[in-house]
Amino acid sequence: MNSRGPLGRGARLLIALAGIAALLFVLSACDLGGVHPIFPDPVSANGKNIYDTYVGISLMAIVVFVGVEAALLWVVIRYRRSAQPVGYVPPQVHGHTGLEIAWTIAPLVIVLAIAAYSFAELQKDFQPISNPQMTVIISGHQFGWDYQYENGVVVHQEGSLAAPVVPFVVPTHTLVKLQFRATDVIHSWWVPAVSGKTDAVPGYDNFSWLKIDQTGQWRGECAELCGAGHASMQIIVQAMDQPEFDAWMAKQKPAPSPSASPSPSK
Amino acid sequence: MATTTLPRPKAYDDTFFKPISLWLTTTDHKLIGIMYMVTSLISFVIGGIFALIIRLQLSQPNLRIVDAETYNQLISAHGVTMIFFFVTIFVTGIANYMVPIMIGARDMAFPRVNLLGFWLIPVSIILYYCGFLTGGGLNAGWTGYAPLTEKAFQGHSLGVDFWAMSIIVWAISGIMASTNFLTTIVALRAPGMRFSRLPLFVWAQISTSILLLIVGAPLAAAMILVEFDRQLGTQFFTTAGRPVLYQHLFWFFGHPEVYVMILPAFGLISEIVPVFARKPIFGYMSMVAALFGIVFLSMTVWAHHMFTVGMNTYVEGFFMLMTMLIAVPTGIKFFNWIATMWWGSIDFTVPIKFVFGFLATFLIGGITGIYLASVPVDTQLHQSYFVVAHLHYVLFGGSVFAILAGIYYWFPKITGRLLNRRLGEWNFWTVFIGFNGTFLIMHTLGLEGMPRRIWTYSNEAWAATNMIITISSFLIAISILLFLINVIHSWTQGEIAGNDPWQGNTLEWATTSPPPPYNFERVPPVRSFMPVRDLREAGELAEHEPVPA
Repeated sequence: MNSRGPLGRGARLLIALAGIAALLFVLSACDLGGVHPIFPDPVSANGKNIYDTYVGISLMAIVVFVGVEAALLWVVIRYRRSAQPVGYVPPQVHGHTGLEIAWTIAPLVIVLAIAAYSFAELQKDFQPISNPQMTVIISGHQFGWDYQYENGVVVHQEGSLAAPVVPFVVPTHTLVKLQFRATDVIHSWWVPAVSGKTDAVPGYDNFSWLKIDQTGQWRGECAELCGAGHASMQIIVQAMDQPEFDAWMAKQKPAPSPSASPSPSK
Repeated sequence: MATTTLPRPKAYDDTFFKPISLWLTTTDHKLIGIMYMVTSLISFVIGGIFALIIRLQLSQPNLRIVDAETYNQLISAHGVTMIFFFVTIFVTGIANYMVPIMIGARDMAFPRVNLLGFWLIPVSIILYYCGFLTGGGLNAGWTGYAPLTEKAFQGHSLGVDFWAMSIIVWAISGIMASTNFLTTIVALRAPGMRFSRLPLFVWAQISTSILLLIVGAPLAAAMILVEFDRQLGTQFFTTAGRPVLYQHLFWFFGHPEVYVMILPAFGLISEIVPVFARKPIFGYMSMVAALFGIVFLSMTVWAHHMFTVGMNTYVEGFFMLMTMLIAVPTGIKFFNWIATMWWGSIDFTVPIKFVFGFLATFLIGGITGIYLASVPVDTQLHQSYFVVAHLHYVLFGGSVFAILAGIYYWFPKITGRLLNRRLGEWNFWTVFIGFNGTFLIMHTLGLEGMPRRIWTYSNEAWAATNMIITISSFLIAISILLFLINVIHSWTQGEIAGNDPWQGNTLEWATTSPPPPYNFERVPPVRSFMPVRDLREAGELAEHEPVPA
């Protein structure tokens, strides 16, 4: 072994730390003591497909991450001066066209594959749907959400930091179209267990959908900074089986018509 | 051999401590560069203090260290300060100092424009902070999305107006600097310094300047329209107008701005790696081509910040594809850096450690960028703590690590003294561990549903992760403190560096440390993109040695 000065010690520490980081990254594919490296279990079909896309990208990402970090580690271990013979003069290489073409094409192939995969998912789950079994107009305001059902019932989910907010109730096994509006500033409706977020923007309607096949309650929050009460704009989605949903609906008071939320249609 | 020594102005000695009148009136690119860098480091400290207050507030659920309105002003000020007043200003400053020397010029092409461009920066910074004197600073995040910035939602505070004016002044300064850099590099290169022999740091500055020249004006335009809405009653971005138009204008600047901050960092890495590996850069031409590939692509990706506003899926697909394609030129640079070090003989000094810190962490930022570019996945990750982690991996793990590498590398040239090595090692390891401790697990908060920009939270499941992040963030603060102590101490007490402490490749190592006002008595001959190394190997360096004043 070569004599190791402070350089060698530093290099060894670097190797050890990079190794730990790589290990953590690989381990993070598993569940680490309450730290979840992946979305909550998806309960809606579109959320499930996003989840699968995330996993698909991760497979390629882990390969790239491990490969490149390993190359860096190898450079640290093998090509540091203390690991080279005394008086070693590195070869004066200025480039290699074949190699440079290879590492232009390899990332290109990887990103084209990821883009194609993502685009297929985009076409599947992010198109406006034409066959909803139910439509709910979700209107964001400072600071809360109003959910207007087709029969005129409006659930007011006023923001709160401490207390749980009033849940937005949907029936299970039902394709629900969500139509987003905003009456003041931009908000963003996000319940990670259901699906990705959709912005509620003043001036036009934005769309998403959900179809939940199990009963339960899931939490979400407003994801677009909308003022001092932004953090209080909690969301709770509750899915009930059809009979319970009907009973719940019967207890709601229909809103005075026309609906309270001004609808600035295009 | 007979060498006549040019007379040196009395005000210039080899220390930094020059009369204040000289600092205030100088058109010397080196002094202006130093003022840029010092200004930016002051901003770094201020922005860092904001970050620590933010982290304290988030360390546990339901804390009330600051209230919601103050918190929103803090996150806005942190973002604006770090992006506009620290990183961009620092890279402008170091380029201001180094580009003319590296191309063998005496000064920038327009020294007085340089002077004006620099002094607009303190004006811009002061304008921004004046907002706090008028009832509250900007409180809509550094992006300042409309219509939250409109009068109807802002009360009597003028913070948004001061922010808009500050950014307009900043953009004008950036356009001046960019024009100046491009003219300097085109017109003032030394004999023999062909474009194909420009150091890669200079190429990076060309690409950065082109980018800022193109996107600076749309930013100023967006700010002017915000002001029209607020002060003249127009309806561009109001609730009755088209708020999404603001996002298009802002991100047409905002995404290329990321590259304004990272391309000079790429240039720094490309300078430091060959010097310490004792090998020429691998694939010089593909490195240059990759820079311009990034410049082009970066202007076609802005709407990937807007995948949740409800665009046509084909439009989203286009922006997704262009965004992912940026991985290709970035990958070329990455592999070329690794190939440069392959078979090398790497001297593990502090600058190269920061280079490895940069490579190891920027890679993670690049990979998480692919997740964010994928439209379906982005609808989950957008505006969550995953994005916050990602952007710090590219901005801190990327730009700031490269900036620190650059400071350790060029401090001896600028001050004539080396930074203390032991403190430098401590600085590197503490910031590397603190940085990853802060931002690696932050990704999981976003995946679990914690949105960014919330001032507090009630979800107990996020408490432990947030506490670890807060503790790690203080390790970063300690590390930066060590760095500042090192800079201040070594400035007067450091080991004398000599002209060429690292056996460098580029022209700045052929002059004194610090260089005289005119940079070179005689510009050495330039026969490749590593002119000083050529001279050293030919045994001719000594006859081009500058004569001490």
